[in-house]
Amino acid sequence: MITNKKYLVGVFNDEHTLIDAFEKALQKGVVIEEVYTPYPIHEILHGMKNKTNITTAAFFYGLFAVVMLIGGMYYAAVIDWPLLFGGKPFNTFPSFIVVTIVATILTITILTLFTFSARAKIFPGKNAVIIDVRATDDKFIILLDQEKMGVGKPEITRLFEANGASEIYEK
Amino acid sequence: MDTMNDKLIVPQKFKSLLYGLIGIGVISMVAGFVLDPHRAWANYLLNNYYFLSLAIGAAFFGAIQYIAQAGWSSAFKRIPEAMASYVPVAAVFFLLMYFGMHSLFHWSHEGITETDALLAHKAPYLNVPFFFVRVILFFGLWIVLIRLLRRISLKEDVEGGLEHFYKSEKYSKVLIFIIAISFTLFAIDMIMSLEPHWFSGLFAAKSFIAAFLHAATVITLIVIVLNKIGHLRMLNHSHLHDFSRYIFMLSIIWGYFNFAEFMIIWYGNIPEETMFYVHRSHGAFGVLFYANIILNWFIPFLFLMPRMTSRSKLFILPVIVILMIGQYTELYYYIWPAVVHEAKFGILEIGTYLGFLGLFTLVVTNTLSKASLVPKNHPYLEESIYHQF
Repeated sequence: MITNKKYLVGVFNDEHTLIDAFEKALQKGVVIEEVYTPYPIHEILHGMKNKTNITTAAFFYGLFAVVMLIGGMYYAAVIDWPLLFGGKPFNTFPSFIVVTIVATILTITILTLFTFSARAKIFPGKNAVIIDVRATDDKFIILLDQEKMGVGKPEITRLFEANGASEIYEK
Repeated sequence: MDTMNDKLIVPQKFKSLLYGLIGIGVISMVAGFVLDPHRAWANYLLNNYYFLSLAIGAAFFGAIQYIAQAGWSSAFKRIPEAMASYVPVAAVFFLLMYFGMHSLFHWSHEGITETDALLAHKAPYLNVPFFFVRVILFFGLWIVLIRLLRRISLKEDVEGGLEHFYKSEKYSKVLIFIIAISFTLFAIDMIMSLEPHWFSGLFAAKSFIAAFLHAATVITLIVIVLNKIGHLRMLNHSHLHDFSRYIFMLSIIWGYFNFAEFMIIWYGNIPEETMFYVHRSHGAFGVLFYANIILNWFIPFLFLMPRMTSRSKLFILPVIVILMIGQYTELYYYIWPAVVHEAKFGILEIGTYLGFLGLFTLVVTNTLSKASLVPKNHPYLEESIYHQF
């Protein structure tokens, strides 16, 4: 039977059967598209090799913010428009720091939010892609792309069933 | 994993080395009292306060673990316990400071209240008898609670059960409450009253954070050293990560408090407050002002930020050494301008530090060797041994 359904979905009832099936599938060379779980699971995070670099990006956003903020305040208070203010020097560096800390946190938050949204391709008003609505509750889902999964469908079905999948269907 | 019979046996050679260090300390102190009593008393106060703050910080660290019901740290709880056992020794040294009051605290001079209106105003609090009443009261409370927690902890090893855990948690709550109040007052007595004309609202809180920071650092050091010589086999990268998170987080808070104190004083520009920094803005102390910030905040902040460095002994150890130096320079920066009036540093300082270091290590290793290094019946022990994230 030829189907034009793109995905093969394996539904699991609990964490342990999911991890068993997940690890055995990886050993057999199955290419897994995505795993949906109600909470983060170490083995899945390691197995999917989804390493994020967003912390590095955040660090450089922070560095950028610090340089721009201190530079900007120095320019405004010392170079562009120096004011005599209660006997204080033009370059009131310690009072710049407070503003810098707060505005750096804000800058990092906003820029990493945008970075994450761009990488994950989400934006306000986008419809949520939910493969199986039960994955938002208490079920664990392994998603396979039928064209790219590397191993034949019957074999995967057998593997999942042997390892405690409660349901396998195409979507 | 065999953690049940992990016992530290202190080799005789190491003990002799520690006695040697204590000997160096005694010689330096005696030489100091002969050559320059003010400097010797400043050394005495600095090192005394240094190691006491480690002990109190460690007691606080241990109490926090109980109150938060932290699982990861329970296998290492003997180390803060052992460090806290130094408090009674420190008590003796602080009481002996009675003979050095005149050299250290100029508010204790005879007749100063007649010529100095501010000190006369403060005299009901800052006078020698009440000073020592406070010392005895604070040390009494600390020793009673630390002993109690230690006894419950040892009893748990033998008897097991959850009852001891809940008891420890209850007394830990009492302990942090007492430390929060008493240690801040203690820091005001010992360090801030060296400059009795100075006003600062944040000094005591900063001293408390500094004690917690440096205690967390030394706890990590002892854990790593014990692991290197073959004990605490379960130490893994996740434990190291949690320890270095403590150092990282506390060094940020230290930096925050240090900056907040300075910034308010600098901006307010009131002579009563600024004179502290003005006295310390010249020569070596001007350099130490920046050195404190770099050693206690900047280097730990930068080095322990990435995940990779905060999980590796190779990166944590240098940061620990830097923070231990940082604690010394911080106290030196407070004490020397007030007592010695110039930045003298030499063999006397190093010798005295080594002496106290030897004594502290002797007390800590002695307490560590008295009980199993890993608690036996702690309810979170299993969780701690297999801690992973």
